[in-house]
Amino acid sequence: MTALLENVLDRAPLGVAVRIARIDWTAMSEDEGRRLREFGLMEGCEVTPLHRGSIFSRDPLALIVGRMKVIIRARQAAAIEIEPVA
Amino acid sequence: MTGAIPSIALVGNPNAGKSSLFNALTGARQKIANYPGVTVERKAGHASFADGRPISLIDLPGTYSLTPASLDEAVTRDVVLGRQDGEKRPDALIVVLDAANLDNHLSFALELLALNLPTVVALNMVDLATRDGLTLDAERLSKELGVPVVPTVAVRKRGMAELLAAVDGAIRSHSAGEVAVPAKANDASLHQRARTLARAAILSETPVRRWTQRVDNVVLHPVAGMIILLALMFVMFQAVYAAAEAPADFLEGGIGVVQQWVVATFPDNFLRGLVVEGLLAGVGAVVVFLPQILILFLFILLLEASGYMTRAAFLMDGLMGKVGLSGRGFIPLLSSFACAVPGIMATRAIPDEKDRLTTILIAPLMTCSARLPVYALIIAAFIPNTNVGGSPVGLQGLVLFGLYLSGIVGALVVAYVLRRTVAKGAGAGFMMEMPRYQMPRWRDIAIGLWQRAWIFLRRAGTIIAMTTVILWLLLTFPQAPEGESQVEYSVAGRIASGLEVVVKPIGFNHDIALALIPAMAAREVAVSAMATANAIDASGDEEAMAQSLGERLQGKWSLATALAFLAWFVFAPQCISTIAITRRETNGWKWPMFMVGYLFLLAYAAAGITYWTAVAFGLG
Repeated sequence: MTALLENVLDRAPLGVAVRIARIDWTAMSEDEGRRLREFGLMEGCEVTPLHRGSIFSRDPLALIVGRMKVIIRARQAAAIEIEPVA
Repeated sequence: MTGAIPSIALVGNPNAGKSSLFNALTGARQKIANYPGVTVERKAGHASFADGRPISLIDLPGTYSLTPASLDEAVTRDVVLGRQDGEKRPDALIVVLDAANLDNHLSFALELLALNLPTVVALNMVDLATRDGLTLDAERLSKELGVPVVPTVAVRKRGMAELLAAVDGAIRSHSAGEVAVPAKANDASLHQRARTLARAAILSETPVRRWTQRVDNVVLHPVAGMIILLALMFVMFQAVYAAAEAPADFLEGGIGVVQQWVVATFPDNFLRGLVVEGLLAGVGAVVVFLPQILILFLFILLLEASGYMTRAAFLMDGLMGKVGLSGRGFIPLLSSFACAVPGIMATRAIPDEKDRLTTILIAPLMTCSARLPVYALIIAAFIPNTNVGGSPVGLQGLVLFGLYLSGIVGALVVAYVLRRTVAKGAGAGFMMEMPRYQMPRWRDIAIGLWQRAWIFLRRAGTIIAMTTVILWLLLTFPQAPEGESQVEYSVAGRIASGLEVVVKPIGFNHDIALALIPAMAAREVAVSAMATANAIDASGDEEAMAQSLGERLQGKWSLATALAFLAWFVFAPQCISTIAITRRETNGWKWPMFMVGYLFLLAYAAAGITYWTAVAFGLG
C-alpha cells in the first residue's frame, strides 16, 4: 500500500467504469488474492465501483465485475491500480 | 455399474441456485446431518431416474474453486476427490452454473471437469438470465465442454427430468478411465479460458438491468440503507409479538382443554400428576411459543432467499469491522437470533480463524428463540399492553426490542475486548459475492420452516420433556407434611434455597432460583419449570389453578425482580446444546468453558445493576 498512489480502486469515483491496470498481490494474503481472481478481478478487466460503506465506516466497497456484484474491503481496493477505460 | 444406488453430488459456486435445485430434485425427502469429524452440514436426499431406479443426491457447500478458503469449502473439495471420511466418492457430478454469470462460474466448472467423473452441467436460472437480457447457446457450450448442458429453472422445476436423464446417460457412457488427479491449475489461464467459453456461448447480451441497481442505490445507501435495515429488524420483532398472539392463545387453550380432560377422566394418582403438572404444564408452556419461533424464522428465511441478507452484511461490515469482525459474521449472528446452534455452525464460512472464534463466542448473546418464551412470559405479565405516547408502537414490543438491542450492544463490546485480548489478530477480510434479488419461493421457505419447527418440537419432546419430568419428581418428593409448602419442602426446593443465597443480592427469589438449575439444559425450561412448580403449588386450589402462570407471577414478583430476570437472560449461557456445539467447533473444552464463564459473569452483573437501579427508582 503506497500512500502516493492516487490511481487505485479505493480512490476511484463511484459509478464510473475503470480498467484494472495492476494488482499488488503482495499487499494481501494468498487466500485473498485467489478469491479476488475467483471473483474475476484481474489485470485488464473492467470494473465499476458502486457503493461504499455505511454511516459507520468507508468499508466495504461493492463493485460490478462482469455481470456480478462483489464486496471487497478498502484495504484490498487500495492494492488495485486502475486506469481509465479507453 | 454395480447394483449400489448411484450417488450424485451437486457442486457449484455460491449463489448458483444449488439449494433450490436440490429442493426441486428431492422435494422434502432430505436428511440434514453432519459430516463425521467436522461440523459441516451434510444435506442428502433421494430422487429417482425416470424408470424408477433410485439415486441419492448430496448438496455440497458452494465454493469458487477446489482450493478451499474455509472449512465448508474444504468439504466440497474432499468429497469430490473421494478424500472425505465416511463419504464415498460421488458416481457423478451435477455442476450448477448461474446462467447469468457464466464467465465467472465456468472457471470452477472447468476445474471440476478435469476430474474426469461423469458430469452434467445444469445451466440454472436461465429465466433470470433472459430477464437480464442474456440469450445463451446451451448446445454450443455443451460442445465446447464435452459434457451435456441442461438449461434449468430450479425454482419452477423446469428441466429436472432432462437433467436426471442426462446424468443417467453420463454414468452409462462413462468409460471408467483414469481417476484424474487435480492438476494444480494456473488460475489465470483457467479464468481466461472460462471467459472465452462464456463469450462463445452468449448469443446476445444487453446491459445489466437497471432496476436492481436502483434498488441497491437505496438499500445500500450509507444512511437510507441503514434506516431500512433497522426498520426491517424492528418490524420483524414487532411481528414476532403481534402476529403470534392468536395462534399462541389457541395452542394454550388446547393444552388447557387436554389438562382438564385428563384431570376429569383419571383418578388422582402419581401418574396423573406427572402428566398434568409435569408433562402438560411444562412442555405445553414451551410449545405455545412455536408460532413466534416460526415467524422469526420466516423473516430470516425470506431475507436470505430474497438476496437481502448479503446487503445487510454489507451495511453491517463497517460497524463490525470496528470491533474486529467482518460483515461475514452478520449472517451467523442473525441466524443466532433464531438459535445459536445453527448460527455457530454457520461461522464455518468465515475464513479468518480469530474472526470466526470471536463470532462463535458472541453468538450466544444474540437473543435466540429459546429466550422468547422467557421474555414473552415476563413481558406479558409485567409490562402494560399500551402504546408508547399514542403512537402505534406497542410498549411490550419496544421492551422486547430493547432486550434484543442489549444483546447486540453487549456482543459488540465483548467482540471489541476479545479481539484485543484472547482473539488478537490482523483485521479480518470481507470478500463476498452479492446475489441478485429474487422472489423467494414459498416451497423453499416452507421446507426451511418445516425443518425448524420439527427441530423445535423434537427438543420440546426430548430435552425439555425429560428435564421437566426430572424436575417434577424432585418437586414432588419428599411429600410435605400438612401446612407446609410442597415446593419449599421438596428436594428441588431445598437445592433452590441453597442457590437463592447466591442470587438474592441481584433480586432473584425462590421461584427463579428453582427455575435456573433445570434451565441449564435449555433456557425455555425456566418457563416450564416455573409452570410445573406453580401447578404443584396450586394443586387443589381451584382459583389458583384457573390463573395463568403470568398472572400468578404478577402477584408474587416485584417489577424490579422481573426486570432483573429479563436482564439475566440477555447474557446467561443456559443452553447445553450451545456449549456442546462450541466444544465441537473449537475442538476442545477451553473456549466453551471460557464462554460459559464470561457470560455468567455478565449475566450476574447485568441482573444486579438492573435490580439495584430499579429499586432505587422505587420499583422494588
